[in-house]
Amino acid sequence: MKELTQKQFFNFLFNNGIENFIGVPDSTMKHFIDEGFKKNKIIITTREEEAIGIAAGMSLSKSYSLVFMQNAGFANSLSTITSLVQLYQIPMIFLIGWRGFLKNDAPEHTKIGKIQPKLLQALSLQSKILNEKNWKASCHWALKLIKGQKPCALILKRDFID
Amino acid sequence: MIRKEAITIAVEKINNQPIVSANGFISRDLFEVCDKNSNFYMIGSMGLASSIGLGVALKNTKKTIFVFDGDGNILMNLGSLITIGITKPKNLVHIVFDNSSHESTGGQPTATNKIQLSKIAKSANYKVFQVKTKNQLVKIFQKIKLVSGPIMIIVKIEKGGIISKRINMEPTKIKNRFMDSLKK
Repeated sequence: MKELTQKQFFNFLFNNGIENFIGVPDSTMKHFIDEGFKKNKIIITTREEEAIGIAAGMSLSKSYSLVFMQNAGFANSLSTITSLVQLYQIPMIFLIGWRGFLKNDAPEHTKIGKIQPKLLQALSLQSKILNEKNWKASCHWALKLIKGQKPCALILKRDFID
Repeated sequence: MIRKEAITIAVEKINNQPIVSANGFISRDLFEVCDKNSNFYMIGSMGLASSIGLGVALKNTKKTIFVFDGDGNILMNLGSLITIGITKPKNLVHIVFDNSSHESTGGQPTATNKIQLSKIAKSANYKVFQVKTKNQLVKIFQKIKLVSGPIMIIVKIEKGGIISKRINMEPTKIKNRFMDSLKK
């Protein structure tokens, strides 16, 4: 996703009820996170599960959060998602950078990147893959779900190689 | 002092302020000793009680938020101390019931008798207190009223005691009543 779109994406969520942006950085969403820093709304955690825990505590206080991470970190978080987020039905939006989407991405991303859609499916976690055209509609979709107390995921493809 | 005795004393002092309690025997003891709407029993997601407590503390600055943690739980999520240390919630009291063992899984040892958790917490900007007796535990709650958080109280406890019953409440009910209690 382009730099300008990432910034618009952040501001759209920020202006529509998402108060906290917590997670572990991923280069795929660098500009999204940079925009959050400008607004002083980012908490960087040491691991993804920790971010989910903090977001859960804020959600219990009626303050909605987005938790950002790379798909490798999403894989780290599976048990936290099942035994905290889904078990208690705690709403939050996951923003997941999808490494390994391109077949020639770095080797450490290949296997986990390949099974990323299957992991979401196995968890029954509803998700949408973002692009330049559908991001705003996808945000509306995600905001509606969390207001109905349901967690969901937005996926940002890593569509470039550095 | 065993864990259940320590929890009984702590709950009496904390009264109706929010408590986020770690999974395993800690939540089970709390449930049995004094079930309240303001208790959030984290029955899964081991290690994350302090992270959940941090989220609640940052959003409820007029309340004091208590975390009931275990040594096994906090060792699993030491990164949480770092994030608490940089966000510096003044209203977070992190109580670690430390028996140097994973008692809920059969009493396997943890490392808290070989490393000093207090030093780790201090370097992460916590104010740290350690208590070993019931009398010290009773008194510490008075003392921390004058201290700005994040605060850690390490309560040295002995292994053993009767195992408390499981928490037989729906997780969504635990959540809903905890959320209602925060509004008051």
